[in-house]
This record gives sequence, C-alpha cells and structure tokens, in this order.
Amino acid sequence: MQAALSTQIRVISALVLRETRATFGTSQIGYLWAIIVPAAGTMLLVLLFSAAGRHPPFGASLALFFATGLLTLEFFNKLSDSLMTVFEANRALMTYPLLKGPDFLFARAILIGATYVLIMGLFFSTLIALDLAGPPAHPTELMEAFGITFLLGFGFGATNAVIVSLLDSWRHVERILTRPLIFLSGVFYVPSVLPSSAREWIAWNPVLHTVEWVRNGYYVNYDSRVLDKSYVVGLALCLVFTGLAGERLTRSRRN
Amino acid sequence: MIDLIDVSKSYTAKGVKKQVIDRLTFSFPRDRNVAILGPNGAGKSTLMRLIAGTELPDEGRVLRHGRVSWPLGFAGGFNGSMTGVENIRFVARIYGQDTGSVIDYVREFSELGKSLALPVKTYSNGMKARLAFGLSMAIDFDCYLIDEITAVGDENFRRKSKSVFSEKLPHARICMISHAMNQIREYCHCGLLLSSEGAWYFDDVNDLIRAYESSNKARQAAPPAPASS
Repeated sequence: MQAALSTQIRVISALVLRETRATFGTSQIGYLWAIIVPAAGTMLLVLLFSAAGRHPPFGASLALFFATGLLTLEFFNKLSDSLMTVFEANRALMTYPLLKGPDFLFARAILIGATYVLIMGLFFSTLIALDLAGPPAHPTELMEAFGITFLLGFGFGATNAVIVSLLDSWRHVERILTRPLIFLSGVFYVPSVLPSSAREWIAWNPVLHTVEWVRNGYYVNYDSRVLDKSYVVGLALCLVFTGLAGERLTRSRRN
Repeated sequence: MIDLIDVSKSYTAKGVKKQVIDRLTFSFPRDRNVAILGPNGAGKSTLMRLIAGTELPDEGRVLRHGRVSWPLGFAGGFNGSMTGVENIRFVARIYGQDTGSVIDYVREFSELGKSLALPVKTYSNGMKARLAFGLSMAIDFDCYLIDEITAVGDENFRRKSKSVFSEKLPHARICMISHAMNQIREYCHCGLLLSSEGAWYFDDVNDLIRAYESSNKARQAAPPAPASS
C-alpha cells in the first residue's frame, strides 16, 4: 500500500515536471507569460471600464470586483480545456505501464492549480500594495472557494476528457456550451441584485456559485443571496466521480 | 513472474472483428526464459504488448510481479520536442532511479554525445533505437521483453550491446519473440507456441523448436485456402 502510494507520488511529480517543460518551453519567460497573460487581460478590462466611467458594481474597487470574477472563471476554463485533451496528448506514454489515466489528469491539474495560486496571489497582492483593495476579509473561506473551483474544473475536465476519447466531436460542442459562461457567471455584475426570476435560472450555473463563493470570502459583507454551497460541492464531487469512474471503465478502449 | 488469467484480446478493423487471443491462462515460470513462437498473425506481438502493459486486455487480467520492461529498443515512448536528456530524466524519475547516474550511463553507452542535448525529433531511427536500448539497460528490470532483436548500430555497438545484455542475464528474466532459432536456443529455456488454434507450452526449448518447425512444414504442405471463404 505504502509502496503503491510512493510510486504514485513519484510518477505524478515526474509528470508535473514534464508537463511544465512541455507547456512553457525551456525558458523561464514561458512561465512568466503564463502568469502575465490572465493578469494583464483583467487589468485591460478594468482600464476600459474605468475609462468608460463605470462604477464598481460592489465595493470600492473595480479591479477587485472584476478580478474575483474573471480570474475564477479563467481558472475553471483553463482546467477544463487542458484536461479535455489530456489523453491524446499523453498517448505516447502508454509505453510505460506505470503511468495510468488518472496520473495524467492529476499531474496537469496540479500544474494549473499551482499556476493559478501564483497568478491570484500576485494579482491580489499587487492590488493591496497599490491600495486598490484591502486584504481578504475571510481568508479561510477564500481558500475553500479556490479549492472548490479546482474540484469543479477537475471534474468537468476529466468527464469531458472521457467523452472526447469516445466521441471526438464533443470538443467542439463543449466549446460552444461553455462560451456563454462569461455572461452567466456574474463576472460583471452582482447576481444577488438580479430579479428573482432571472436569478432562479442563472443559479443552475455552478461556475456562478464559485465566483460568489470567492467574493463572499474576499469582501466583508458580500452576503450572496445566490450562493448554494451544497449544490456546487455536490455537483463537483459528482463530476469528479463520473470522470474518474469513466476513465477506468473506458481505459481499455483508449489503447 | 507474470501471470495471465483468462486473457482475451480482439481488434476490430473495418467492421471485422478478429479475436487475436482467446481466454489464455498462463503463468510464466519463475527463473526461466520464455520464447514465444508462431506464424505471422498468430498474436505474438499482441501477447507481448499485453505482457508489457502497453495494451490492456478486453477481458481477464495480467499480473506482473517485479518490473517488466517495454519491448526492447522500442522508441515510441519518447517525446520528440524534448531533448534526449529530458526524455532520459523523465523515464529515470518514473522508475525511481537516480537521474544523474542513468543519464551518465546512457550517455556513455549510446555514444550519442552532444546529440543528447537536442530534441529527439532531430534523431535518426538508429539514434533513437540506441537511446531506447541504452535506457532500457540503465534501468534495472526484472524481466526484459524482446520483440525480434534488431541489429542497432555498427558492429562495435552490437558487440557492446550483447555483452551488457549478458551481464543482465543472471539477475533478469527474458521473454523473447524471434524467427531466428539460434537466438531462441541461446537465450530461452522453454516457450509458448501460438497458432490460430490456440497456445501450447513446451517445457524444453528443443521440443518447442521441433513443434514450431513441423507446424511450419504442415502449413506449407497444405494447399492455400480459397480466397472467397
């Protein structure tokens, strides 16, 4: 049991290092870009909206409000996008039977998770340093929110990876289906102030709940009226289970 | 060392299903080197890939006790955009071996020199095979799988490969596919004979070779089956 666990850890850490090399290239600049792009994208939006004279929908800082929404959504998107193609990307590694499907999923997810910890940490620290935001009011809740976004993105990505390995066209369908998330996840507005009829519909979107959870953790008194923690946790766990069970059941078809 | 339990494998190509291995149960004897013989298409390489774990059976289980190599010299597991050293480092890591000493060993053995710092996609087939062979020798496997020893490199490299391989023999088992009976006699003690009718085990390699040769003669003597059937 212990031997199996140490093999698993060894294999996953070797894969993480390999993924880092394959994703970001040989130069350190490659990794720097991975951090700069989401942060700069968020900053650009903030500048555009400030120039248009828009007031922050909540709190005093437009940058903080958008960042809590946009970076959370991007974290989810990045996880689900990268995991979806993980099996075809690692096809050559079937040569080494020590490596199994879940290892590929875990390794890639760990790398993206660590990258986004860094991105968010740097972005929020910069806001605090520039006096554009205060420190998070409920750090533990913020960490829970990050964890659940990770779990949801992992489950969604793993499930999609299994579907894509059976039905290749699914990758395009998935891109279409997730396109509206930018409007449906409360990135630019406070979902709690929507009319209740709209709120009921939008509350089906689990990514909205992760954004709300992040804001509940960051702001002192965000008090989301939409956030349903048991819904998003339950759904995330279901997707993780579906993805991992599906991977096991379809494994012999993939090689 | 390796147990096959009720293993089946079939492939479907253009809607036609071909059962390659049908409910095979076999335990590879510990401390003996095993040959796998049979005519083309009998499923020798499929069986080897199932043993290696690079393919999974449709049904049944393959149990490996100890470390089993990938089919020797097989270079398909390299990432072309990564350098030789990076590929070596990765394989050394997953098998839990000291990366520095594995790199030194492969550098010395493969004679690739400065090419090791270049992406593997720039290598010739011979260079890739030398890298793959050197790497499989650098890692301590309990069982080496050999699907047709193909000559890699020049006369000097071949001699070196053979002597390194002989050093492994006292500690490691071999499972070998070959059409060269002198190699089978040299390395193997016993073996499996595969055919479309099934698999037979021979405890003595000379009996195995005799059975293989007489089955070959029988097939040559039989008139070719009509194409329409």
